[in-house]
Amino acid sequence: MNRKVLLIGLAVVVPMIAVLALSLGRDPYSVRSPLVGRPAIGFTLQEVGTGTPLALADLEGKPVVINFWATWCVPCYAEHEVLTRVARMTQSQVQFIGVVYDDDPRKILQFLSERGSAYPTVVDQGGKVAIAYGVYGVPETFFVDRRGTIVAKHEGALDEASLINYIGTILGDAR
Amino acid sequence: MKRGLIALLLIASAVVAQEVTLPSPHEIVGPPRGSVLSGAELDAKTKDVASLLRCPTCQGLSIYDSPAAMAINMREQVRDLLTAGYQEDQILAYFEASYGEFVRLEPSLSGANWLVWTAPILLALLGAWFVVSVLRKREPAPVAVSERNPDNDPDLEPYILKVRELAWGSPGRIAPLDSKSVETATGREAVPTGPPENEPRSESNEGVGR
Repeated sequence: MNRKVLLIGLAVVVPMIAVLALSLGRDPYSVRSPLVGRPAIGFTLQEVGTGTPLALADLEGKPVVINFWATWCVPCYAEHEVLTRVARMTQSQVQFIGVVYDDDPRKILQFLSERGSAYPTVVDQGGKVAIAYGVYGVPETFFVDRRGTIVAKHEGALDEASLINYIGTILGDAR
Repeated sequence: MKRGLIALLLIASAVVAQEVTLPSPHEIVGPPRGSVLSGAELDAKTKDVASLLRCPTCQGLSIYDSPAAMAINMREQVRDLLTAGYQEDQILAYFEASYGEFVRLEPSLSGANWLVWTAPILLALLGAWFVVSVLRKREPAPVAVSERNPDNDPDLEPYILKVRELAWGSPGRIAPLDSKSVETATGREAVPTGPPENEPRSESNEGVGR
């Protein structure tokens, strides 16, 4: 009887411990994107300020950093500084695109005039591109390698070290 | 300064009017398989499908129940897809392609998801089986003293003999009266179980029995 109870207890407890052990270090709120490892979804949006159409397909062959953000997003303020700084450092190798989620273009222009910008910013009215990319909230950033494959997705504001690390990944051996 | 502001507003209004270019749903889930909906039917179906999709920015709310901007935008897309003739399963698959299965409020009955649906039932059955088997194997509770049959109880025998000895004088040879002998008073058939006629017995002890 005691042996049977012990076996049943082990059968219940061991899988629970295994699941917990495997989940250690994982963000429980982070859901793996099905888009990672797949070709980046092509889109065309208009640049804020100039109205010039910007198509992802035109950037074929160049690694791309797609950053979803909004002017009402507080963490995006600090992240914008990091993105601008690193974009200037890597502009010959990597193309940055800022996609503003469903925001007022006047506020975007004011934001950019106050804080500066080193890359094109497009506005996603209706959030169609954000939904196509499975965006949960802003800021979120996708890293696309030179073959057009999404290599990584980062949820939340990026710090400089993480951003440089991600860029190293999409540049691969060529860096 | 004013001219700059006006220019900014003109540019901004131009940006608002511009359309987004994305791959069509056809490329993701194939051609529409349903009928084109409109009016009240479209409203009802939009509610049904939107109730099945999780709002990505909320905690456990469907895009139908959530007032979040993301939910409103997704709801609009559901409506557009229904208007274009896409079926419920195609629309769910369309959002799943972007967000993964997490976007479904109820996991589909496929692959490892069978475990999610069947595990609670299996565990409940296992628990019931465990409880029943434990109860069956449990040793019967000791019989209460009052339920013992004194005639066959070796523990009580010395005491019975002692009582009989006190009552009848000679315990080994005296059988006590049982309930059947009491029934003689009511006119029922009597089964004599008292002391044999030839046995001496004291008057004061008459009627003593169990």
